[in-house]
Amino acid sequence: MTHIVLLVQCLGLNLSAPLSWPTWVLVICSMLKRRESRRAVDYRLVALLQLLSTGLLAAQMEGLLASGLQLITVILALSGLLAHELGGVVSWAALLRRSLQLLLAALPLALVLFLFVPRVAPLWSTDLGPRGGAVSGLSPEMDPLSIGQLARSDAPAARVTLDEEERLNSNSYWRVLVHEQFDGRSWRHEDPPFPPRSGRGGPLSAGPSQWWRVEPSAIRMVPWDGAAQPVSTDQWISSEGELLMASSPRRPRSYRLQQGLSSVGWQQQQPQPRDRALPLPPDHLPRLQALGRTWRDQPKDVDRLAAAEAWFRSQPFRYSLAPGAFVDLDAFLFDQQVGFCGHYAGALAALMRAADVPSRVVSGYQGGRLVRPLGGSPYLDLRQSDAHAWVEVWLTGQGWKRVDPTRWAGSGQPSDPSIDAVVSAQAGPVPWWRWLQLQWWGLDLAWTRWWLGFDQATQAAWLQALFGEQLRWAGLVAVVLAAIAVGVGLMLSRGGWPGFHRDPLQRSLRLLKRFGVKAMPGESFPALCRRAGGLRPELALEFQAMAEAQQQLDHALLGRRQRQYQRKLWRQSRARLMVSASRSGRSARS
Amino acid sequence: MDPLVDAALQQLMSSVAQVLLGKGEEVRLALCCLLAGGHLLIEDRPGMGKSTLAEALARGSALDFKRVSFTSDLLPADLTGINVFDARTAEFRFQPGPLFSQVLLADEINRASARTQSALLEAMAVGRVSVDGTSHLLPQPFFVIATQNSMDQVGTSPLPEAQLDRFLMRISLGFPSRDAERALLAEGALDVSMLGACIDPVGLQEWQRRCQQQHCSEKLIGYALDLVVASRRGAHGLSPRASQGLIAAAKAWSLLQGRDHVRIDDVQSVFPAVAEHRLDAGVPGGAEQPLSQVLLRSVDALP
Repeated sequence: MTHIVLLVQCLGLNLSAPLSWPTWVLVICSMLKRRESRRAVDYRLVALLQLLSTGLLAAQMEGLLASGLQLITVILALSGLLAHELGGVVSWAALLRRSLQLLLAALPLALVLFLFVPRVAPLWSTDLGPRGGAVSGLSPEMDPLSIGQLARSDAPAARVTLDEEERLNSNSYWRVLVHEQFDGRSWRHEDPPFPPRSGRGGPLSAGPSQWWRVEPSAIRMVPWDGAAQPVSTDQWISSEGELLMASSPRRPRSYRLQQGLSSVGWQQQQPQPRDRALPLPPDHLPRLQALGRTWRDQPKDVDRLAAAEAWFRSQPFRYSLAPGAFVDLDAFLFDQQVGFCGHYAGALAALMRAADVPSRVVSGYQGGRLVRPLGGSPYLDLRQSDAHAWVEVWLTGQGWKRVDPTRWAGSGQPSDPSIDAVVSAQAGPVPWWRWLQLQWWGLDLAWTRWWLGFDQATQAAWLQALFGEQLRWAGLVAVVLAAIAVGVGLMLSRGGWPGFHRDPLQRSLRLLKRFGVKAMPGESFPALCRRAGGLRPELALEFQAMAEAQQQLDHALLGRRQRQYQRKLWRQSRARLMVSASRSGRSARS
Repeated sequence: MDPLVDAALQQLMSSVAQVLLGKGEEVRLALCCLLAGGHLLIEDRPGMGKSTLAEALARGSALDFKRVSFTSDLLPADLTGINVFDARTAEFRFQPGPLFSQVLLADEINRASARTQSALLEAMAVGRVSVDGTSHLLPQPFFVIATQNSMDQVGTSPLPEAQLDRFLMRISLGFPSRDAERALLAEGALDVSMLGACIDPVGLQEWQRRCQQQHCSEKLIGYALDLVVASRRGAHGLSPRASQGLIAAAKAWSLLQGRDHVRIDDVQSVFPAVAEHRLDAGVPGGAEQPLSQVLLRSVDALP
């Protein structure tokens, strides 16, 4: 059973990850070992292998579902181990209870480790995920047609939760890619180089945080709002204003951004020559170039942009996700005049460059669905259908400014269809399975946020808050609490609770009480068991065995092995008696 | 544990029980007393098989057996022996009395005078006899089985408390059960003289030695102490010799159970035999229920 759960988790692994093969090997080894296990040592080894592979899985898979499955695996492995140690004839409920007890005993120590052990940077932030594999999403080379196909898919893209709910604006633009290379037909993205190591990561401030969870994608760029700062050391912001990760997220990935910092350097970054030039021979896209050049008469770039807007609004453009075959931008602008965001953005950026205004195309997501799950905080659900493209132009004195030509194009019609779609999706009824999925994601995000989000920076901040000048008392209390937690854990693992008897005699007496047998004055334990055996003749031998083992433990001079053996005998007979006690208890109730 | 010797002990026990029909428990106690190296006081009416038990134990373990009937005119010298003048060697020669045996049956000890009684008990305590200034060692093992008529018999003087304390156990045989007596009448019991030896004296001493090595746990010692301390709240508390005897008897009992350690059950089994005669000052049947049972019930046996 444990192996089934383990295998299910293994199926979720991507085989190109460096750690996934060892995990598979471990799981298969433990299965084979389980088949040939005969001795107690073998069973213990199997349980150890199972726990080890669970640990490996936990290192590779985060998220609520994976954590839940890992917890189930650990409980099952412990139960299996206990079942063997206790002699096999124990009810499932008792086994589960014992396993949970064990976990509970380990919990204080785990908590202390979790809170206080330093997160070593390269280990903690290393993405152990796979390096290959195909996934859908935005593409680095923006072909205007690709975004149309993407926009028709309903696959999830990302989810974000913010500390301040009012900032969860479903009308926001989430930047992903900046395309600055134009070859006359498509806009290309240029992969930025790795920044110097010292430039990575930002200091943690007290500002609110955004928690992102992105689906796998083929690119290193992930969505952000253009203003926040990354917290993790393997994330940084390029000079074009892209949020990059060290490697593309091949599995769902979570990260945290720090909000409310004013330093948005990429907006003031001077345009490169490539943003200005339209590297085209004059005979290529002649009508577009001609139109753009007419605006060069305007002295100020703001006026040139205004002229372009006026021109777009004057033309009978129609928005459609299926505009038919795409010839080139000239045909789109002057003949077909039907298209979607990719077309409009590509055309406007090319026009602005022809008018000698630095410009570039940005693709990302726009809108999203605001979800208020029953559990967890509200979040914004971004889907691939929210994919969008817009333009950024360099205006002297203002820096890079966002311009969305798709909105101008829809001006003749009631409203922008893409915005419309978002609004209707929010208002309309949600199918039950989608509703369940949204709820699940809410829990998942909350889990990510509170549990996995406890990274180095948070820990540092937390410890600083605890041991800071003003909060010395809080720090003292925390240390005392941690010490108590460790003590309780030790006590649970050694002696048990006060009142919870580890002594075989006391526990046997409690068991006998369940059979309705109480010690008479001066009665010895074997005599008591004999009396119990007289009341329940079918269990007389079990009672006798329990008494014998207990007496051996109490009075005989035993070596360590003998003691363990007698203790095992005692546990076994007690467990068998427990089963019949609960059985008779049930039948008595019914 | 050596299973062969264990079998010999079992055989001894069962063959003595064949002689004394229906008295398995008492036979076991008597054997236990022998193993513990203590002396046994059997208290009962005449004709209950006291002498038979003593003789059977002696024969079964191939011990030298002598019997002395105590009467009011019995003198100490009649027990210990005297120095007689040898005319040929012109020297005094020690003529050992019946005390110089391995199993001595002192029949109806309460008929003898206090002086004779005390001579016997001195010998029991120290294991040697002094005659005319010369010490003579008694043979080993030395086991005294004294019988005593119940107090309602005419012409008896009860043993003083101090003497009673020298007996490890006091048992009472009691009437046999109806079935046992039927078997006795119909087929007759095995004759004592037919009883063969099951172990030799050396083997018996080996068992006595082994008996002392039985393991007593802390809990067990604690329980025995609880019992002894509880007894001291009454009129006649148990002496340290009694508590030593209690543990020794419990050790022997556990050995007879085939175990290498003593349990609380063993203490409880031997406690009435070990303690009762010290608690009631030699006057049995005074209380409604035996004092030792009251004590056992007052001490928690589930530590």
